Amino acid sequence: MVPVGDKSSTGSSSAAYNAAGADNPKERLKECCRKLVAFMCTQVGVGGLVVGYAVVGAFCFIQIEGQAGDAQHHAVQQLRHNCSVNVWNATNTYNVLYRDNWTRQVTDALTHFQVNLALIVKKGYDGRTTEETWSFSAALMFSLSIFTMNGYGNVVPKTMLGKSATVVYAVFGIPLYVLYFRNMGKVLAQSFRWLYTWVYQCSMEDKAGGDPYNQQLPQKSRVIVPSTACLWVLAAYVATGTVTFVTLEDWSYLDSTFFCVTSLCKIGIENFVPVGSVTDAATDHPMKLVIKFVYLLLGMGIIAMCFDLMREDVQVRVRNLKMDIGLCFEDIRLRAVAVYRRRNSFD
Amino acid sequence: MERKRSGRRYYNKRKKTWTQQCKDYLRQFIAFLFSNIGIICLVVGYTIAGAFIFIVIEGAPGNAIAVIDRVGANRSGTADRIWDMVCCNAYCEDEWKQEVQVHLRSFQSHVIEAVRNFSYEGPNKQMTRWSFSGSFLYSLSVITTIGYGNVTPRTLMGKLVTILYAIVGMPLFLLYLSNIGDILAKSFKWIYAKCCLCRNCKKRRKRMLAIQRKEQWKMDMRDFKLNTGVLTEGEESDDEGTTDGSSSLSFNDTQEVTVPILLCLFIMVGYVSGGAILFSKWESWEFFDGSYFCFISLSTIGFGDFVPGNSITGPGTETSLGTGTNPSTGTFTGFRTSSGTVIELSFILCSMYLMLGMALIAMCFNLMQQDVVMKIRTCTDILRRISRCKN
Repeated sequence: MVPVGDKSSTGSSSAAYNAAGADNPKERLKECCRKLVAFMCTQVGVGGLVVGYAVVGAFCFIQIEGQAGDAQHHAVQQLRHNCSVNVWNATNTYNVLYRDNWTRQVTDALTHFQVNLALIVKKGYDGRTTEETWSFSAALMFSLSIFTMNGYGNVVPKTMLGKSATVVYAVFGIPLYVLYFRNMGKVLAQSFRWLYTWVYQCSMEDKAGGDPYNQQLPQKSRVIVPSTACLWVLAAYVATGTVTFVTLEDWSYLDSTFFCVTSLCKIGIENFVPVGSVTDAATDHPMKLVIKFVYLLLGMGIIAMCFDLMREDVQVRVRNLKMDIGLCFEDIRLRAVAVYRRRNSFD
Repeated sequence: MERKRSGRRYYNKRKKTWTQQCKDYLRQFIAFLFSNIGIICLVVGYTIAGAFIFIVIEGAPGNAIAVIDRVGANRSGTADRIWDMVCCNAYCEDEWKQEVQVHLRSFQSHVIEAVRNFSYEGPNKQMTRWSFSGSFLYSLSVITTIGYGNVTPRTLMGKLVTILYAIVGMPLFLLYLSNIGDILAKSFKWIYAKCCLCRNCKKRRKRMLAIQRKEQWKMDMRDFKLNTGVLTEGEESDDEGTTDGSSSLSFNDTQEVTVPILLCLFIMVGYVSGGAILFSKWESWEFFDGSYFCFISLSTIGFGDFVPGNSITGPGTETSLGTGTNPSTGTFTGFRTSSGTVIELSFILCSMYLMLGMALIAMCFNLMQQDVVMKIRTCTDILRRISRCKN
């Protein structure tokens, strides 16, 4: 296990305490226990809280929205009924043998049906009843999309109560999520840095066998992870997601990449899948859902980690640059002063 | 080096000529232009460029015609199937209607897919979803990571370009947010300090007195040290720095004030409800729907069930649903042409509202963070003092 206790939270007092009783094994054990508890409370606890919050939100939204009346569905049914009545009337009034007349009439009826249907679809109807829409998996993805600020929009609340609940849910969920994001980023950054340092040192040892330069390396405890490594990690994560979703959801590679990138960037443009498979998706087995859920949450953590590491890298680089520039200016100034003095002395 | 720099600054301050001052102001102005106005222009320009790119890629007329043709073919196919049924089936009304319903259902799912995925609107209508305003909103929603999703790229190129566009655009927008948020926070703090600190002048005077006393004490100490000859060079430079800082006290004082959290929350709520009023006017939404939209947009969730300027793409939202009225297509086109200018204006205001709102939210978070940090610091100070007393 990587020692990843939250150092800022344990504070300076415990550090002093630790230093005082470092030689006592009992104290050390206690300290380890305390660190473990702190770790469980801060990292695992926050993760569990996020997952629990999502599940609770899913049940709440199913309760709220699942009860809502199905006005649009009824409207569409009514439209369909009207259309079939129209077609029947056309068949009855015209002589069936006149195909042209009949076809024109039926096409008119169908066009009318289609135009009205398009309007209803614009209002948010998607061909599903509320029971089909608010399945558990869809509700879970909905609550996840609220507090990760993704907002896919394939499932939206339609009632007033549902909308208010969404707002309240977001108000409490987003800070929680940000907390998770920060924590996860810190933990992952620390472990990744540790891993990187380890690999780096190993490779250096291999390379520089008995070099005297080798002696200095372990003392330089803090190795800065370069930005390119972070980018590689991100690219690898996106690629993994792409392959996973291609096999899991039968999307094309491009669609899958698009989904991964837009989700991880919190843009959350919904990848509209054909209507036929939407109903399938409502009833598919929970493994897919779990994989998607874990992928998104972990992905957010990895993004946070990359931010953390890259910020450090950039900071170091900027500091170096500043130092260089400062030295440069100092050099120029010294030279100018020297020249000035020399000229003065000549005069 | 530290001492030299501070000394030089001191020297400059004393002997600044008029031209130098002018130059300094000019330099500051240019820096401001590059840092803030420049970045706003950059973001707006990037969005406009993105809008044109997406129009070129996605708004090609071929796509639209293909979709319209496909829906038309499906419609005539449905009619043909019904005709086949008419010819061959028994003439029993109920059974016949049942079968027609099946065909209608498949036709319905096809239409739903066309409308939702390909933004199909009607047999004899151009698809205006990738108009300039539509694609502008699309690129804005990509770089702000709102992602409404009412308009989605359908072609391979469109998706690729969206990914690249987001990768470049999001850091740019983050830069914009942090810069503008900083500026707004500073100016808001200044205003707050001017307005609210004058009201309780007593406190302020007291604080000023305390600071002055501190300075006096420091000076005394320095004099004392100088007299006794204890003062080393390093300490002198330290003291120089502090006195240098105290000369610009009046500005620092306004920046040291923390704005209470409640005020920040109030600003956010006020902005959201103000937006709700505006949107209920422009888009003829209800007040609640407007505030819901504002909240969802400003928190960058962006479901896309309500979208600014939806009256451009979906004029049908104006008609009431489920009442059984069958508005003909003629009224829609009339509506659209009559309110063309209104739509453009409202769309520009919408995007301005969004961009300003995000910066305002960033400002509020900035201020709230400062307040919280300040409070925690005072708490720890108090705790430390208490513990020290006990010891």
